Amino acid sequence: MIYLDNAATSGYKPEAVIRSVSNALRALSANPGRSGHNLSVSAAEAVYKVRERLSDFFGATGPERVIFTGNCTQAVNFVLKGVLNANDGLIISNLEHNAVARPAFSLREKGVKVSVFDGFAKDPTQELNNLITKDTKLIFCTHVSNVCGKIIDIAKIGALCKKHGILFGVDAAQSGGVLPINMKEMGIDFLCLAPHKGLFAPMGTGVLIAEKQISKTVIEGGTGTASLSLAQPEDLPERLESGTINLPGICGIGAGVDFLLQKGRENILRHEAALCQKLYDDLKGNSGITVFGNGNFINEYAPLLSVSISGVKSDEVAALLDRKGIAVRGGYHCAPLAHKAMGTVNGGTVRIAPGINNCVWDIEQVKRALFSISNKKY
Amino acid sequence: MKRYVIATGTVTHAIKGRDLLKKKGIAAETERMKYGTENYGCGYGIVTGGNIEKIENLLKSNNVKILKILPID
Repeated sequence: MIYLDNAATSGYKPEAVIRSVSNALRALSANPGRSGHNLSVSAAEAVYKVRERLSDFFGATGPERVIFTGNCTQAVNFVLKGVLNANDGLIISNLEHNAVARPAFSLREKGVKVSVFDGFAKDPTQELNNLITKDTKLIFCTHVSNVCGKIIDIAKIGALCKKHGILFGVDAAQSGGVLPINMKEMGIDFLCLAPHKGLFAPMGTGVLIAEKQISKTVIEGGTGTASLSLAQPEDLPERLESGTINLPGICGIGAGVDFLLQKGRENILRHEAALCQKLYDDLKGNSGITVFGNGNFINEYAPLLSVSISGVKSDEVAALLDRKGIAVRGGYHCAPLAHKAMGTVNGGTVRIAPGINNCVWDIEQVKRALFSISNKKY
Repeated sequence: MKRYVIATGTVTHAIKGRDLLKKKGIAAETERMKYGTENYGCGYGIVTGGNIEKIENLLKSNNVKILKILPID
């Protein structure tokens, strides 16, 4: 199989990640931060090391700011529902995944004022300057569109937020481990991550790095601390980590970060971007095939490519590619706002997302397959 | 040398504090609180010794939450 669905989850999990998960299950099966016995303490030490690695990697102020969640969507919900109240203003982009769009629009029903800026703008701060009001409390946006790969200039938005005293949150599901992110330098208060994508970790892992306090909790429960109190503890990370955490998955995140550092994030990015560039150049200009984006990978677009074929629905294209042993994702990618902005609500797009293990031959195969489908030779 | 247990509440803050103190050459270990936590229940702390004011300042300036400092008899 040729796996080109790395924007959904990285198809390749390094041996070191698999070993780390396996080792956690074999040798660290105790509840971290709960019991005081040696094994529980060893498990807590292992979790802490991963918090440290993530804090360093993403330029956070400390490991206690790193919160483990079940996935990036949970992390986003913790932020949006944790800091916003009725009459507060929230600004999101038109490139949001439903992980952001749905909780945002659910909050709108509770009185939060939601406005939307154009994520395709070269300088989004121009429009944001007009959208910001005295009620604006949070700007929350994706770093990279999961549909077309468009990069939003989060450093500029972070600076704007600091100037206006507004909180800034980023959905880095597609960019964490792929593009450079430094929370301090970019003025990010809340960073939501999907480590099973760019950090090569197991599925069912998510991370929230919170530099600011989150006043309301979505989930309350046991934290292993202050057990006599019925009130949820105030301190991060435990405030947002009720219940037993995913120790094997967390160990996998740590091994994934190590793998990324060893291989070099930029090396992987350049490799994936070169594959996208080839596919973009080969497909662009062919009648019957629409390629989205402008081919300026790394600077304007992350390494993923959306295409559509005239007269064939994207789900059907994806199914036909699957029959040829090529795994991609067709449809709407849980991002209706982005498809509306791209004009692809009728039929969606086929998303092709190469990963570290793909090669030029893989790109040749998908290109040929797309030409065959376009020419109705399937 | 007088020894203390510094209640941090969470194991995360306990490990962070221990590592900070060790980097400064101050002996420190984490432990699950055995006593002195009657008011708030389970939690973790740092067992250390020496100039407790200096230690407290170092921990606080690095955002390590301190709930209570208890001398060990």
